[in-house]
Amino acid sequence: MRVFSTLILGAAAAAALAPAPVSATGVITCKAGPQSGWKSQEKLTEKLTKEGWTVRKSKVDGGCYEVYGTTPEGDRVEAYFHPVTLEKLYVGRRGEVLFRKAGY
Amino acid sequence: MRTYQQIVLRIILNNKYVFWALLAIPAVFMLLGYQSGETIAMDMLHPTGEWSARLMVFAMILSPLVAVFGPKPWLNWLVKRRRALGVAAFIYAVMHLIFYLIDMGNLDDILAEFWALGIWTGWAAMLLFVPLALTSNDASVRTLKAGWKSLQRLVYPAAVLVLIHWIFIHNNLGPALVHFIPLAALVAARFFLVPKLTPKGA
Repeated sequence: MRVFSTLILGAAAAAALAPAPVSATGVITCKAGPQSGWKSQEKLTEKLTKEGWTVRKSKVDGGCYEVYGTTPEGDRVEAYFHPVTLEKLYVGRRGEVLFRKAGY
Repeated sequence: MRTYQQIVLRIILNNKYVFWALLAIPAVFMLLGYQSGETIAMDMLHPTGEWSARLMVFAMILSPLVAVFGPKPWLNWLVKRRRALGVAAFIYAVMHLIFYLIDMGNLDDILAEFWALGIWTGWAAMLLFVPLALTSNDASVRTLKAGWKSLQRLVYPAAVLVLIHWIFIHNNLGPALVHFIPLAALVAARFFLVPKLTPKGA
């Protein structure tokens, strides 16, 4: 009993203390080379705004630019863009795929 | 013989309001960040939700811990504060919902994503939390008698919904499992192992 209890507590403690992995959600991955060759996030925001998007937040995820915002059609989404070409790769709404570029 | 400092420390630690203050600390930091404009509503969703789930799990593992380890003073200390843990979990969930509503900003967007697996499970869990929180008081325990315990068992389906909500909203298993594997292990230990190990009348 004591051995079992210790095992349970140990496992629970190990699980609770294990560092949570840093968010690379793995939805989309871009192999876009070194960041020095990337276009800036400001440039992407500017481009999207011009196209009718509302950008709430953008960040790097899986080597791509990940954008939270509203599409020109008015959908609240999470979208991925290639950091060199700024091409749209993926659009999703809470995990529901609305668009995915072939090959990604 | 206890020293003066030990007695004072004990009084502080055992004070109900000190425990509430402790539970409020993460909220204070989150809200300060939001108020200063450093954090946007969207970024409030993850910490409020995580703390809500964490406190719920914390409240839920106490009975299994007692079943597995037997009555221990430190466990007893926590069991006496389980209601505070549960109510705090609810308050963090309410904050989570409020910031979700602020972030979404309009009903159309909320309805558009309502049936996503990661979303409706969150709403359903919230719905189950309401009666749990409303009956977290002595008067309800007295009025509902045996029914109170059955009602509070709604926390188990709620926990399953929270787990699904977390996994599918995050596209990431890790953080959710860190919280739920210990819970599942302890609940399983309580139900499958402990009765076999303690013979009747022992």
